[in-house]
Amino acid sequence: MDKENACCTKRVTMRTLYLSLVITLFGGCSIKDVKPWEKGTLAKETMREGGGDVLFKKFANHIYFSKEGSKGGGGVAGGGCGCN
Amino acid sequence: MQLRLSTITCFLLATSSLMAEDYVSVEYMGYDEESGRTTISTPSIEINKDFGADYTANLSVMHDSVSGATPIYHDSSSGASAKIPEGTIYQNDIEYGDVDYEDERTAVALSLTKRFESRDELTIGGNYSKEHDYESKEMSVEYLHYLDSSKNQSISIGTSYQKNDVSVYCSLNTEECDSSSGASEKVKTLDVFSAEIGFTQVIDKTSQLKSSLFYINEDGYLSNPYMRVVRDYNRNPKLTQEEKPDSRKAYGALVQYSKALSDRLTTVSSYRFYSDDWEINSHTLNGELYYEFNDKLTTGVGLRYYTQSEAKFYNASADYFTNQTYASSDRRMSSFDSLNYKLSGDYKISSDISVNASLNYYDQPDYFSAFYYNLGVKYRF
Repeated sequence: MDKENACCTKRVTMRTLYLSLVITLFGGCSIKDVKPWEKGTLAKETMREGGGDVLFKKFANHIYFSKEGSKGGGGVAGGGCGCN
Repeated sequence: MQLRLSTITCFLLATSSLMAEDYVSVEYMGYDEESGRTTISTPSIEINKDFGADYTANLSVMHDSVSGATPIYHDSSSGASAKIPEGTIYQNDIEYGDVDYEDERTAVALSLTKRFESRDELTIGGNYSKEHDYESKEMSVEYLHYLDSSKNQSISIGTSYQKNDVSVYCSLNTEECDSSSGASEKVKTLDVFSAEIGFTQVIDKTSQLKSSLFYINEDGYLSNPYMRVVRDYNRNPKLTQEEKPDSRKAYGALVQYSKALSDRLTTVSSYRFYSDDWEINSHTLNGELYYEFNDKLTTGVGLRYYTQSEAKFYNASADYFTNQTYASSDRRMSSFDSLNYKLSGDYKISSDISVNASLNYYDQPDYFSAFYYNLGVKYRF
């Protein structure tokens, strides 16, 4: 019963966190037609997760994959490893 | 005419900045668990090269040297060994603790991107990795299609197929080893099929949103050949190899939002949901903040929170499993949270050369923590 309660509390907390994140990030967003020559900022490496360091991002994902029970979402290519 | 030319020039400049660039990146990456339990040393290289405006090739090679120890159930009377003892062992000899191991892994990834007249992209990739007891081959294909003329909306569809060979220790008495050759290992296979559909939306000049749905289907040997469980502890205790189901279906979703808060300050945040038929559900929240001090120096901080639920066949206790088909005491199948803290820096020595470094601290409370880091140099040509 304690486990069920803990699980339920965690689920509610996660949903609240997720909703807060979505509202914070996208609240009031309006989509604009951005011309190609206006995309200098969007092209910055800092606009990408990991700051554009592809090798270290792969290394970090490899660590998460070998230490945690889930994966995916970072693209279909990734390669396998003997760390199931 | 002049206006048209400058418009075209601007377009080419802008699109070329969005396209890949020519560079060689060399990095040394390291991983150290607390008390020196596991150490990984990974030198690596990545080469990215455009061939005209329509083709880009990317090659990366990484070599891991792994040494240390991993905690598993073992027979303490025969020393801390991963070997499975035959038959019954004494309860007092069953111990959960570190068993030494060493490994080397080389991974090679190659991809080629073709851009069409519409600037849609087709990327074909291959991955190969080899360890002493594991070999993995993967092919992937991904197509990116722009939905509008300003290229503010795009959709991507990708799929990959991975074939893995796993060498598993087997006992001549209990496994179907080729006894005539006296083999002590048997090769088992694991096939992985992945599919992902993504959508990217430019919101304005300083922000964009990426989202994706993914599906992963794994079929074959999904157990870890080194993980042990204790069975029938109270009557006839035995150490056996863990047994995970031989298939796993998972799906999930990822949302990522990037925003330049000012000319110098940028934030990237993401949320990933994952669920599979082993009853593992996970949530990952990641946030990164980058600050450009000047044209040369950029620093970053990051925080990642991960939480997952327990697999239906997991139990850590020595006196839990009897004759269940599936049994695992692998900690990664348990319910836990983790936090990752990141510091990074990038310094442009010249227009061609930059150096970068980062330091991460990964923590699974009550289990382990680790530092991992990198030091690299990037040469643009």
